[in-house]
Amino acid sequence: MRQETLRRIISFALLLVLIVVFSTTTDSFLTPANITTLLRECSVIGILSIGVTITIITGGNDLSCGHLMGTVCMVFAHLYYYTSFSLIAILLISLLAAIAGGLLNGVCVGLLQIPDFVATLSTQFIFTGLTYILAIRNEYGQISAAQINNKTMVALGGQIPGGLYLVTLVFFGMAILGQIFLKRTKHGIYIYAIGANRKSAEYSGISFIRTKILAFVISGVCAFVAAMFTIGRYHSNEVATGQTFALQAISAAVIGGAAFTGGRGDMWGTVSGVLFMQVLRNGMRKYGFTTQTQAVVSGVIIVLMLIFDAYYNEFMQKRSRRAAAAERENKAVNGNG
Amino acid sequence: MDKAILLEMNNIEKIFAHVQALDRVNFQVRRGEVHTLLGENGAGKSTLIKILTGVYPKDGGQIFMEGREVNIASREDAAALGISVIFQELSLIPTLCVYQNIMLGKEFSRFGFVQAKKEKKKIADLIEYYGFSLGVNDIVETLSVAQMQMVEILKALAADAKLIIMDEPTASLSSHESKLLFSIIDQLRERGVSIIYISHRLEEVFKLSDRITILRDGKIAGVVEKNQINPSEIIKMMIGKSVSEATASRMLRQSEEETVLSIQHLCCLGAYEDVSLEVKRGEVLVLTGLVGSGRTELIRAIYGADPYDSGKIELEGKPYQPQIKKAVAEGFGLIPEDRRTQGLSPLLSVTGNVALTNYDKISSKGFVSKAREEELGRHAVRLVDLRPPNPNVLAGNLSGGNQQKVVLGKWLTRNLKVLLIDEPTVGIDIGAKDEIYQIIETLSQNGVAVLMVSSDIAEVLRVAHRIIVMREGKIAKEFHTGIVTQEDILMASSGLDTEGEV
Amino acid sequence: MKKSRADIRKKVFSNSRIIVLILMCIYLTAATNGKFFTYSNFVSIMYSISLTGIMICGATFPVLLGGIDRTVSGNAAVCGAMAATVALYFNQTDIGAILALLCGTACGVLSGFFHGIVLSRFAIPAFLLTLATNEVLYGIVQFITGNQLINVLNCELMNQIGQSRFLGIPIPVYILLISFVGCYILLTHTVYGRQIYAVGGNRQAAELSGIPARRVIIIAYTISGFMGALSGFLLSCMNRQASAAQAQGYENDVLAAIVVGGISLRGGEGTLQGALLGAILIGVMTNGLRLLGIDSIYHNLIKGVIIIIAIAWDMLSAASKSGTTKNPLAGLFTRKKLREG
Repeated sequence: MRQETLRRIISFALLLVLIVVFSTTTDSFLTPANITTLLRECSVIGILSIGVTITIITGGNDLSCGHLMGTVCMVFAHLYYYTSFSLIAILLISLLAAIAGGLLNGVCVGLLQIPDFVATLSTQFIFTGLTYILAIRNEYGQISAAQINNKTMVALGGQIPGGLYLVTLVFFGMAILGQIFLKRTKHGIYIYAIGANRKSAEYSGISFIRTKILAFVISGVCAFVAAMFTIGRYHSNEVATGQTFALQAISAAVIGGAAFTGGRGDMWGTVSGVLFMQVLRNGMRKYGFTTQTQAVVSGVIIVLMLIFDAYYNEFMQKRSRRAAAAERENKAVNGNG
Repeated sequence: MDKAILLEMNNIEKIFAHVQALDRVNFQVRRGEVHTLLGENGAGKSTLIKILTGVYPKDGGQIFMEGREVNIASREDAAALGISVIFQELSLIPTLCVYQNIMLGKEFSRFGFVQAKKEKKKIADLIEYYGFSLGVNDIVETLSVAQMQMVEILKALAADAKLIIMDEPTASLSSHESKLLFSIIDQLRERGVSIIYISHRLEEVFKLSDRITILRDGKIAGVVEKNQINPSEIIKMMIGKSVSEATASRMLRQSEEETVLSIQHLCCLGAYEDVSLEVKRGEVLVLTGLVGSGRTELIRAIYGADPYDSGKIELEGKPYQPQIKKAVAEGFGLIPEDRRTQGLSPLLSVTGNVALTNYDKISSKGFVSKAREEELGRHAVRLVDLRPPNPNVLAGNLSGGNQQKVVLGKWLTRNLKVLLIDEPTVGIDIGAKDEIYQIIETLSQNGVAVLMVSSDIAEVLRVAHRIIVMREGKIAKEFHTGIVTQEDILMASSGLDTEGEV
Repeated sequence: MKKSRADIRKKVFSNSRIIVLILMCIYLTAATNGKFFTYSNFVSIMYSISLTGIMICGATFPVLLGGIDRTVSGNAAVCGAMAATVALYFNQTDIGAILALLCGTACGVLSGFFHGIVLSRFAIPAFLLTLATNEVLYGIVQFITGNQLINVLNCELMNQIGQSRFLGIPIPVYILLISFVGCYILLTHTVYGRQIYAVGGNRQAAELSGIPARRVIIIAYTISGFMGALSGFLLSCMNRQASAAQAQGYENDVLAAIVVGGISLRGGEGTLQGALLGAILIGVMTNGLRLLGIDSIYHNLIKGVIIIIAIAWDMLSAASKSGTTKNPLAGLFTRKKLREG
C-alpha cells in the first residue's frame, strides 16, 4: 500500500477511536450541543492550519501564523477605535495587513533564503511588536482589552440556521477551497512540486521564490479570516490573542499527515488532525481533567505523533527499498532462466 | 547522407582550469538515429552533454540544430530546442502522479485551474502510442525505476523533444527492464526521435546503436557506423595508442603473504550475492566492474557502515563482526566513495579532519593536546605531501586532489591493517592521481592490505596486484597471474567474454 | 591593491559584530551624555543577560550540531519550580537549597537526555519537537506549582546566590562567567568539543571516522538541559519565588543571541564567544533603548528585524569569504553586474 494512503487511514482511525471511546464512556460527548461547540472551538485553529499545511507542503513551516493573526486582530481593533473608517474599509485594510505579513514571511524565506522556522520565528517578534504598538490604550495610557460590538462582526461569531456556527461552515468551506487549490490548480501542484523535489521543480521552470511567497500569503489570508472570526466570537481583543495558536495549528497538520520533508499532506488530513486535537481536548474536559493535564496530554500526543511519523517514514522507505531490491532479484532470475 | 542531420556540434572546446576537457570536438546526430557516445571516465562525454544542455557554457565552436546556429545558455534553452536529458538520478516529483509530472511547468490551464481531463487524455494517448505499461494516475513513488524512466521519456516526448539524451539509463535496471527500455528506444527511433545514448555496457551499445562516436582525452577518437561495429576495434579506440605500455596492461602477481582479511559467501539482497575473497598482507586487490555492480555496498559492509544479510568475515583468521568503531580500533580505514559528503568535514581545517580518526593519539583524559594535534596535522601534511603544506586551511576550500589527500591523511597517520578505498581519483587531476597511486603503493610495501574499488581501468592496471571483476553483484572473473590488458577487463565487466564473441 | 581591499572587506565581515558593538557603545555614550558609559551600567547589562547567557552556553551545543533546543525555558521553569518546592520541603535550610539545586538540575538533565535520545535517532525537526516538549514542560510546571506562586523568601543560601554581590558584581554574573569558561574549554580543548564540530559539519563523515555521533548528540542536549535548569534555579533565587510561567519567552532571546552571534543554524560553524557576544549585543541594545527612552513595546519589533538582518548579513559574508555567487542573496547583488559584463 502507498505510504500516504496507509498514513491517512491511521489518522482517521485514531480520530474514530477517540470519538468511540469518548461517546461510550461519557454521556455528554455525543450530543448535538457538544458537537456544535466542539466544531466551533476548533474552527479558528482549523482555518490557521489550512494556511500552515500549505507552507508545510512546500517543505517549510509557519510559526508566525498565530502571531500574525493577533496582529491582524489588533489592526482591526486599532482602526475600529481610532478612525472613523467604514467597516468595509477596516476589513480591507486588515486583509492588506495580513497579506503584507505573509509577504514578509515569503520574502524572508523565498528571497533571503532564511530557513523557514528562523524566518517565521523572527517575524513572530515583529508581529508581536506591532501588536503592542497598535494596542488599544485606556485613558491612563495603559494597554487594555478592546471591546468591539459592531453588529456585523458579532454576527460572524453567531450560528446559522441549523445550529452550526458560521465559523465552522467557513472552516469547512476553506478546507474544500484549499483542497481544490492544491489538487486542481497549477499553483497548487507547484506547491507540492517545490516541497517534494525543489531542484526538479525548478528545472521544470517553477519559481521557488514565487511559490514560497504564494504559500505564505495564503497563510496570511487564513490568518485574516481566523482573526475576523476571533473578534466575532469574543467581541473584544487583547494583545496576547493568538500567541499559542501556531503550535496547535502545526500539530494538527502533522497529525493529519503533512510531512516536514515536504510534498505530502492535504486538507482532509489537516481537518482530521484538527478534529482529533479538539475531540481529545473536549473529551478530557468531559473527564474533568484540569487544564494543565490537558496541556501535558496533548503535548505528549504531539511528541509521540512526531516520533511515530519519523519511525513510520523510515520503516516504509526501508520496506520499499527492500521490495525494489527483491523485485530486481526476481526479475534477474526470471530473465536468465 | 540520406538522412537529414538534426544536430551538429562543430569544433567544441572547453577548458577547465587550464585542462582542455574538450578539444575541437565535432559531433553529429541524424534524425531518428541512436547515437552512442563512448569513452572512458573523464574522456569528455559528460562535458559535451553539459554543453549541449546549457549547464556549461562552451569556450569555442558552434552548435547547429536543424541547420540553424543556436545558442544554448540554460536547460530551458535546450528544452525549447527540443533537447531533453534523462539523467541517472531521475528528476521526478515523487508525490505527484504520472500526468502531473509529465505536464509540470507546462500545464493546460484556464484561470489557473488545471484542465486535468485534457492533460490526461493527451498523456494517455502518448502512453498508448508508445505502448508503455503505465497509468496516468499512478503516483510516481509507487513506480519501479524502469517505469519512472518511462515517465521521464514521456516528459521529454510531451515537450516535443527531437533529441533525447540518455545517460547510463540501464545502470539501475534489471535485465528484463533493460530489454523493455531497448524496445522503447527502438520505437522512438522508428518515430523519428534521435537519441544520444551514453553507456559503459558495450554489449547493449553494440546492439542498439546506429552510430558510435568514441571520445578519448577530450578528442574524437573515431565515429563508427552500425555495419562497421567491431567490439575489439572499438575498445582499442577507447583505450588509444597514446597510452604507454605500462598502463595498458599489467603483470599481476600472487602474494605469498598471510591472509589479513577474508570474506566468505557475503550476501546482501539487491546489492551483492555470495561474494568470497581474501586480501593478503601488502597486497592491492582491486574490485572493478560497472557502476551498480555492488562493489561499494560490499566494502561499506566490511567496514561496518552498512548491514549485510549473511556470510562471514574474518580478520587475521579470527571471526570479525563489523562495526565502525571497532573497525577503526582494529586497524581498518575507509576512503569513501564521495569525499565531499562522506570523507571530509569541509568546515574543519586539514588538521581538524586528520584528527577525526586520531583522537586516541592526541588526547589524554578527554582533553586534546593542541601541540600534539598540530604536530599530527603537520605530520599528515608531510605524509601525503599536501601542497601548499598548510595544515590550517579549511578542507572545503581545497582542490579535489588535495581533499582526497586529506582523507588519505586521516588514515595514514594510523597503524593500518586493511585500507578500503572506493574510487579514489574521481574528479582529480592527473598529477594528484599519480601521487595518490604512489601513496597506495607505499602503503602496500609497508604491509597494509588494500582493497580498492575502481571503475577507471587505467587506474586498475596501474595499482592492482590482483583484480576481481564484479558484474550484477557477483564475482564475474578474477585475474591473478600473468598479463592482463584493458581489453580483458572491459570484456569481462561488460559480459562480452562469456558470450564468446571475441 | 585589489587584494588588500579584499582583505579589509574580509576583516570587516569577520569582525562585524565587535565593530557594531563598539559603534553602538560610542553612539549610546554620546546620546546619553555618558550615562551609558558607567561601571554600574555595565554591571547592570551583564546582570540582565546573565540568565540568558547561561542558557546560551548550553543551547549553543545543539545548534552547533545543526539542531536546536527550544526547551531551555521549559527546563528553567521545571527546575525553578522543583527547586522552590524542594527548598520549602526542607524548611529553606542550606542543605535544602543544595538539594533543590540538585533536584532541579536533574530534571533539566533528564529532559535534555530525552531530547538527545529522540533527536539523534529519528529525523524529526528539532525545533518542532522541542516546541512541543516545551509545552509539556510548562504543563508539568503547572502541576508542580499548582498554578500558584511558590515563595521562597527565607532560604538564606538561595537569597545570597540571587541577591548578593561579590566585589560589587552580582553572583549570577560570576556563574555566567564560570559556565562560559567551562563550556568554552569543553568546546575548544576536549575531544568532545572537536566531535561536536565534526558531527555538526558532516555527520556522515564523522561516523565513518569512528565518531559515536549519537552519543555526541545526546550529550549536547543533556548539557543544554542542564544549563537551562541551572539558570532556572538562579531565576528562582533572584525572584525568591517560582511561578508557572517562569522564564517563558527566554528561548526566543536565546535563539536570537545565538543567531546574532553568528552560529550557523545548519551546524558546524560558530563559536561560543560569538554567541555570548550576540547576547551582549542584544543586552547593550536593550539597555540603550531604555536609556534613550524608547518604549519597551518597540523592543520585540527591533529584535525581529535584527535577527533577519544578522542572518542575511552572515549569508553575504559567507559569500564574500568563498568568493562564489552560489549564495542566492549574493546573487541578488551580483547578477546585474554579470549581465552587464
